[in-house]
Amino acid sequence: MKFKTIAKFIPMVLMLALIMSGCAQQSGTTSATQEPKPAAVAEKKDANVLKGPIVGRSNKAKTISITVGAGDAAKTMMLRFDDNTEGLDFAKKGEAAIINWEQRGDDKFATVIKPKLAKLPEGVTEIKVDELYQLLEDQVPMTLADARPGMRYNQGHLPTAVSIPVPLLKEKKAEVLPEDKDKLLVFYCGGYT
Amino acid sequence: MSTSNAGLAKKLGYTNVRAFLAGEPAWSEEGYPVYASNTFVDKGNIVLIDLRKGEAPVNGRIPRSVQIHYEQLEERMDDIPRNAPVTLYSDNMTEVTDAYEDLKAEGFKTVSLVNGNYQGWVASGGKVETGPIFSNEIKWVRILGKGEVSVEEFRKAVKGDLPDTFVIDARTPEEIKELGIFTNTVNIPLDEIPKRMNEIPKDKRVFIHCSTGARADLAYRELIENDYDVKFLLLNISDPECDCPIIMP
Repeated sequence: MKFKTIAKFIPMVLMLALIMSGCAQQSGTTSATQEPKPAAVAEKKDANVLKGPIVGRSNKAKTISITVGAGDAAKTMMLRFDDNTEGLDFAKKGEAAIINWEQRGDDKFATVIKPKLAKLPEGVTEIKVDELYQLLEDQVPMTLADARPGMRYNQGHLPTAVSIPVPLLKEKKAEVLPEDKDKLLVFYCGGYT
Repeated sequence: MSTSNAGLAKKLGYTNVRAFLAGEPAWSEEGYPVYASNTFVDKGNIVLIDLRKGEAPVNGRIPRSVQIHYEQLEERMDDIPRNAPVTLYSDNMTEVTDAYEDLKAEGFKTVSLVNGNYQGWVASGGKVETGPIFSNEIKWVRILGKGEVSVEEFRKAVKGDLPDTFVIDARTPEEIKELGIFTNTVNIPLDEIPKRMNEIPKDKRVFIHCSTGARADLAYRELIENDYDVKFLLLNISDPECDCPIIMP
């Protein structure tokens, strides 16, 4: 079913190319596995994008590790990269990225890396470091809230900040926020991820 | 995290909500100070430095603090472990700010200040210690992070004194050709780990190292994903602390 739907929308030429490259990669295997291959190729094509925070990049081993999924389902995947990989600088430890990859033989290679930008909820605006510094310097009335886990807050937080980790706000709601709903409320955490 | 909280606040009816997306890392990178919570100053695994001069610390200081007055800081810099979180206090803001910037420039990653300096600590009811100071030695031991093996245990393994252990060197063959390899160790470069998984026994504990621990950490995550009993060494192996037998090329 899935194969049919996809085939309808992909131009025949591309489809042929996919099947052919799939065959070329597996030229050593027996012909008994030939039949389900086109479907497998189509599925792989769908899954070839990874999104999540970068765990690390090794320039010596030429690999990138990225965490995908959330909570208990989160897992780390390792990809290789080479001189043709685009946007390598976006694979920066601790920052979220979107990686397109392809299978080459036994290895997964990153082809294009883009930064994954945080989506702002409607009606919320971003504040940059200089503006925030100025507001604090001018002692503009505001509530500055650290959204990271309490331990991180304890280690080091911005001046005047209070600790409101995400689970706490979810549980206590407005109880942990200022009474005045029109007062400036700024949230920060450990970076873009 | 900041966006989910901002979204939540918006839903609760807050009208003036903003998100500082670049967050704490961008703030401290600018050289702006961050503050440690008093509980962390009290109990955290930190190096606490008292930058005040002369008799002041004798008359009252924060327990566990080491006295290094600001003028001495440069010469004592090498005594402070590089990976230790450092918290500073003094009795004047200029001095702590200067020291904060100096440590940041020197490459210390986690540096924080005591809220309101020594005066703020006392005013908030923080514990104080008085009397003569007998030692200015920095005693700080890193607490092992998730998945880390201690140097002692790792050393035992490469010496062959820890049965049922498989040690992997995740560096490149070129690095090993130049620098040698530890005894009882197998070289599987980080990028080859996924396809050489069949060479790594499932019924043994696995230790991984590389040159500094960065690649070993990534290899660890790859193996833990595949249900291995695995730990990695977070240490620069050229550090004298390592002291493991090497087979030279």
